[in-house]
Amino acid sequence: MNIKSPLRLTAATAVLLALTGCASFSGDAGMGAIDPLVQARTGAPARTLKTEADRRALDELLQARLAQPLSADGAVEIALLNNRTLQASYWELGIAEADLVQAGRLQNPAFGYQHMRGGGDVSIERTLTFNLVSLITAPLASRIEGRQFEQTRQQVAAEAVQVAADTRRAWVEAVAATQAVEYARQVAGAAEASAELGQRMRQAGNWSAYDQAREQAFYAEAMADVARATQAATAAREHLTRLLGLWGTQAQYRLPERLPELPAAPRDIADVEQRAVRERLDVQAANLATQRTASALGLSRATRFVNVLELGAVRESDGGAKARGYEVTLEIPLFDWGGARTARAEAVYMQAVNRLAATATDARSAARESYQAYRSAYDVARHYRDVVIPLRKKLSDETLLRYNGMLLSTFELLADAREQRSAVNAYVGALKDFWLAESSLETALGGRLPAVVPPSQQGATQ
Amino acid sequence: MTDSMKRRSFLQGAALLGAGMVSKAGAATLPEAPVQGSAATAAPLVPPNGRPYNPVVTLNGWSLPWRMKDGVKEFHLVAEPVVRELAPGMHANLWGYNGQSPGPTIEVVEGDRVRIFVTNKLPEHTSVHWHGQILPNGMDGVSGVTQPSIQPGKTFVYEFVAKHAGTFMYHPHADEMAQMAMGMMGFWVTHPKDPRQHAVDRDFVFLLSAYDIEPGSYTPKVNTMLDFNLWTFNSRVFPAIDPMVVRQGERVRIRAGNLTMTNHPLHVHGHTFEVTGTDGGWVRPSARWPEVTTDVAVGQMRAIEFVADNPGDWAFHCHKSHHTMNAMGHDVPTLIGVDHRGVAEKINKLVPGYMVMGEKGGAMGGMRMPLPENTLPMMTGTGQFGEIEMGGMFTLLKVREGLARGDYRDPGHYRHPKGTVAYEWTGEAPPAPSAPGGKAGRADGALDVRRGGASTGHEGH
Ligand SMILES: [Cu+2]
Repeated sequence: MNIKSPLRLTAATAVLLALTGCASFSGDAGMGAIDPLVQARTGAPARTLKTEADRRALDELLQARLAQPLSADGAVEIALLNNRTLQASYWELGIAEADLVQAGRLQNPAFGYQHMRGGGDVSIERTLTFNLVSLITAPLASRIEGRQFEQTRQQVAAEAVQVAADTRRAWVEAVAATQAVEYARQVAGAAEASAELGQRMRQAGNWSAYDQAREQAFYAEAMADVARATQAATAAREHLTRLLGLWGTQAQYRLPERLPELPAAPRDIADVEQRAVRERLDVQAANLATQRTASALGLSRATRFVNVLELGAVRESDGGAKARGYEVTLEIPLFDWGGARTARAEAVYMQAVNRLAATATDARSAARESYQAYRSAYDVARHYRDVVIPLRKKLSDETLLRYNGMLLSTFELLADAREQRSAVNAYVGALKDFWLAESSLETALGGRLPAVVPPSQQGATQ
Repeated sequence: MTDSMKRRSFLQGAALLGAGMVSKAGAATLPEAPVQGSAATAAPLVPPNGRPYNPVVTLNGWSLPWRMKDGVKEFHLVAEPVVRELAPGMHANLWGYNGQSPGPTIEVVEGDRVRIFVTNKLPEHTSVHWHGQILPNGMDGVSGVTQPSIQPGKTFVYEFVAKHAGTFMYHPHADEMAQMAMGMMGFWVTHPKDPRQHAVDRDFVFLLSAYDIEPGSYTPKVNTMLDFNLWTFNSRVFPAIDPMVVRQGERVRIRAGNLTMTNHPLHVHGHTFEVTGTDGGWVRPSARWPEVTTDVAVGQMRAIEFVADNPGDWAFHCHKSHHTMNAMGHDVPTLIGVDHRGVAEKINKLVPGYMVMGEKGGAMGGMRMPLPENTLPMMTGTGQFGEIEMGGMFTLLKVREGLARGDYRDPGHYRHPKGTVAYEWTGEAPPAPSAPGGKAGRADGALDVRRGGASTGHEGH
């Protein structure tokens, strides 16, 4: 056991005194530390809005982005800057940094002056009190606050990455929901034509009330579907709007009419597990926690006989007793309290180690699962695009030929038009699932994946 | 080829594909089995030997040559899958005999001893029933009852005396529902011993058959019972059924047998006729009465006779109007009188290429729109005055002056003497009266049912 002598302690604190004096504010509330973390994982910067100039810059950016239909990347960019919950978290970083800086600073020495008059005697007592405890605990506090800051940094970065992923998903949902409205309208259009023709059939005396009612019922239901789809689209859009932190006229932003096309090929990622373990912030956080507890363990071992809490409680120095000297007394516990503390720290450490292992295992599993889901979603979407939709088209062509040959009626033609649109809608659903799966994959792998070559440029690069 | 085969002449490029059906070893004892590849009408088969007779003309078909062996007429039928052209643009996977469906017409003379070799090249067993013949029970061709069925690859021999002159047919009596739905049938004529008896100048024969071939497919649906979509004379549909060409003043006989599952009232224009024969024999002259339509019930045969004294192009058809149509949708609702304005544009947005049809009637007004593969327009054919709008069991009786005897070539459109064609009234006319209530509930003008329409907006389709 290493028991520090008061002398050595004093020497050490003197050195630390010089060192901790360096801790100072970064000037950007610590965002400089997380911006690269977030950018690497979302493709967009994270910044705190502090000044009017920042706000004006953001307004300009919003104006530029919202002048065009909002892309998924654009939505992420806006959310990272304009989502106020996220901004609040960014300030969390400022708070942590302030704590860190504060911890690194020694308490100011206090100068006391006591003038006492009693029994005709006048005693003047001057004391210079210096918080020795803080001197001793400064490196510890600084280290703890340093860890705290690191942890906050991880948390804020993770939150930003989460908001980015949520925004990307909300964007996909909102665009898909808009497409679903278009689909519902087209189906209703076909139903409307059927109902109108049915009405004319009835007027001409060619159809019964039964036949007409059947067509009208279908149209009425189709209109209800349009209303439902519209409501769903509104909800999806508002979810996105909330994430973007937009309101007022800015909330009238436009979205693209369609989801991006399916890439020519799915991503082929050989090292999903390694990538997850390397990039994921939760793994990194667990790793940091392990390191933190490890150093805490080391510290506990080193200071097992120093009751830091007790020392911290000894606030008042009795300057009256000895005016010319200072004496530091350390309580040395005779019972095995420090040993218990070490055991606890060891347990905490082992807990952290296992949590890290569990987090890494989960991350690997999630990476594999997300990657499989992503590939399946790609295959399903491609199946719809390359097989189902062409077959539906073929069916429609053949239906029209049969109509031409007076083998089928207009009503069957319209029913087929509805079915064809239903297939297109299913494709949009599969495409939506694909883009959501991609977003989930990115989340599972800890960040934005490199862009896949779009289908139009495929030929040029191969 | 036999000499008789070489002497045969054909109309419209008909050609025999040659023999060689059986093995060389078998050829010593089996008669040749000629094969016909063309769906054109073959010229009458003048008997090269045996008793003389006046041969018949099989519409879009042919007669089977025979060989005489020890005074017996030997024929060889080969039952086999065939591809029949129902009309240009449509082929059917059928089963038939000697390359065609229906099989070749067999012509014999009253009292002939006939030996028919039947080789089965179908994937399943078969038999041949000689419909209407009076023969020994064991030759009647009912598998299971009078004989074991003919297994694939086997050859059976039928032998009997054609006792009675008349109009007959042959068809399987083994899995006959499927086999007749697939086109297994053929005509049989037993001519009278005396060629002068019942003699006519032209003697046309054909079988009525019906198929249900889904547009875009090739093989009939053998389980269809009544809702057929192709009604045929000898497995042909108008406009691909050859016309019956006759010289003015000739005595004409038309014989038809019905192997569909419904009756067909056959109707001839411009002439009256008498039913002179059934599959039971000749009708006594005292029992005949004048007709312009005779109903041929299921499984029946009718022979009608008349003198073609009226020149022109005369329609000859089944009088069930759906039977003079080709493939059509039987569940398509009636659109007559339905105003499509506004709706058509909406539909066109949803279904590019959509054209309004039927709102002024069933006629397509000369529209020629793309159809599914291997099917035919519902109504088709063009005459000298426009669309004929017919299909199925429809052809023309073409009566012309001065044709050569035995000349069956299509003489083209009839040239009407001046002033004998219906014409448009161009004088002043008061507005035509309408039935009261005729326009009730309809948009104005929507009731103007015009056939063969002026095709407004249909050009180019
Ligand atoms: Cu009929």
